[in-house]
Amino acid sequence: MASTTTADPHDPAATQSLTPARRRFVSVVLGAIGAAIAAIVGVPLAAFFALPALRRAERRWLEVGSIAEFAEGQIAKVLAKPLAAQVWPYETRQVALYVLNQGGGKFALYHIHCTHVGCPVRWNAPAGRFFSPCHGGVFDRDGRVVAGPPPRPLDRYEYKVDKGVLYAGRVYRVNEKLEFAGWHHA
Amino acid sequence: MAPRLTAVLDWLQERLGTREQFTRFLDRRLPVGTTWWHTLGSAALFLILLQTVTGFFLAFYYVPSPEHAYDSLTYIQNEIPFGRFVRGLHYWGASFVVVVVFLHLLRVFVMGAYKYPREMSWIVGVAIFLVVMLFGFTGYLLPWDQKAYWATVVGTHIAGTAPVIGEYLWRILQGGVEVGARTLGRFYAAHVLILPAILYGLILVHLSMVIYQGIAPTPRGPLARIRKEDYTRLYEESKGRGETFFEHLLRDAVVAFVLVAALVLVSATATVPMEEVADPTDTQYVPRPEWYFFFLFELLWRFPGEWIPVATFWIPLAAVLLLFLLPFYDRTTGRHPLRRPVASGAGAGALALIAVLTYQGATAPLPPREGAAMPQEATALPPALAKGAAVYEAQGCSACHVLKGTGTAAGPDLTRVGARRDEPWLKRFIKNPSAVQPRSAMPPYGDLAEDELDALGKYLASLR
Repeated sequence: MASTTTADPHDPAATQSLTPARRRFVSVVLGAIGAAIAAIVGVPLAAFFALPALRRAERRWLEVGSIAEFAEGQIAKVLAKPLAAQVWPYETRQVALYVLNQGGGKFALYHIHCTHVGCPVRWNAPAGRFFSPCHGGVFDRDGRVVAGPPPRPLDRYEYKVDKGVLYAGRVYRVNEKLEFAGWHHA
Repeated sequence: MAPRLTAVLDWLQERLGTREQFTRFLDRRLPVGTTWWHTLGSAALFLILLQTVTGFFLAFYYVPSPEHAYDSLTYIQNEIPFGRFVRGLHYWGASFVVVVVFLHLLRVFVMGAYKYPREMSWIVGVAIFLVVMLFGFTGYLLPWDQKAYWATVVGTHIAGTAPVIGEYLWRILQGGVEVGARTLGRFYAAHVLILPAILYGLILVHLSMVIYQGIAPTPRGPLARIRKEDYTRLYEESKGRGETFFEHLLRDAVVAFVLVAALVLVSATATVPMEEVADPTDTQYVPRPEWYFFFLFELLWRFPGEWIPVATFWIPLAAVLLLFLLPFYDRTTGRHPLRRPVASGAGAGALALIAVLTYQGATAPLPPREGAAMPQEATALPPALAKGAAVYEAQGCSACHVLKGTGTAAGPDLTRVGARRDEPWLKRFIKNPSAVQPRSAMPPYGDLAEDELDALGKYLASLR
């Protein structure tokens, strides 16, 4: 069967050109080409996947309402709308937040998600406290944790007042002393 | 056999060697004592195939965008012939998969089938189990109803509590700063494209390993212990006396049929829960996870404040690593569960813990809806007590206390608190809990008006 004139692929002699050095050479080139292909395709795909999620300052200012609507010392739940016309994906078509008029032109605007695992907190006016429906987190009117597992006070929106209208901006975290402790998702 | 069919088979045989391949696959011998328990793997595969097929069909009508997802599902359920049924198959089928895959894992654990030479089959199997859980997590968002939305807010929030990478993980999962259109797109792509590709890749490897090594023998007789020196000889001997895979397929088929019958029955009779369309501005919603994440929901109770990552990250990580590495730290030769008491004890303990947490999650009382009547009808109470009941409700006591099955069990159940404490004690406690019990987690209610405190104390003392 084995002929000296025709090459037989099953003939072990046919693989003799593959010396260890040559095997190493082919492996290195194969690896390099593979890595190059993975990088050329992979880097744009990774950026495509991750960068929109990590983009900063995506939030536009939200119109919360006229400051006259917020009685001093009271907490109100507000549905705020973005100022600029929204383009897809309409992430912030309508945002619920709690507004506390602290008096003297000062406000506290709270994110509605509990800082524990994100359940929506309810404002209970007679009790003067926010309650989470999941693991018993309780916050006072200043957003401080008074009971339960939340690790930090309620997150807040930066705000500005312009011509008597209250606007909400980016979300930030505060520490136990209610001082700025970093932007949320920044 | 019809001559024409024989001709076709011959044609294929000449080109692909089909006959030998089929014989090698179907007529391979199994070890003695292959039982009904050994059908769980094929049952899991069968259910996964069924999920794939029903998923294909749901994708014809489902639209993954916040504007249309809910409506497209309502359309599937209400307008399309068999729509409710097909969605039911996929919805209930998901729980079937979780249960059967878990039982399969349990079977392999109990029979010590993860030992030499099947360590890799175990590792790939654990990976399959995790991918199945990811299917549950991503598929859960797709209906875009309240339950879906809030479960995902909580789920991504939990991912965000991971040390160091948490923040990035959170945003990558959400695709932005909030759960929204991009989250839905991501979860959809993962659920219908990426995870299936990974799952079937893993299944291919898993099955190749089962065919290459043969199914693990039942831990009885000489094969109740595994020693490298004589394993191959004993296994071949056992196979010499065993039945063929083709015969075992009968059991697989019966189980598959029973599962389909059960699934059809459930899908035809039970309504798939569908809540209102997702509303990110709703602050009255009470998020609760799907039953197979109850253990995590309950675990969160035990680790407050700075301990949160223990429940959300370290314990799950440790559990996953313990599962993956099981064949490497359980190096005993015994395969019968009684011959490896440490592994069996730890496994049984973990299982009992998960069962208890799942039970607690399933029976956890819910906080009252706003404006809903208190469990004890205030009108049926004498005026003196009615006022206290009103204070109880207004002050949001049920946010932390359970009363006759309603409320959140953060603090003690107050259904019979009057039998334990008298009125003066209760009043002192409410005013400043930590002055009465230094370790109490209850916030002080010193701002309560005197008459309200009186009424509340009277009311609570009356609860016996």
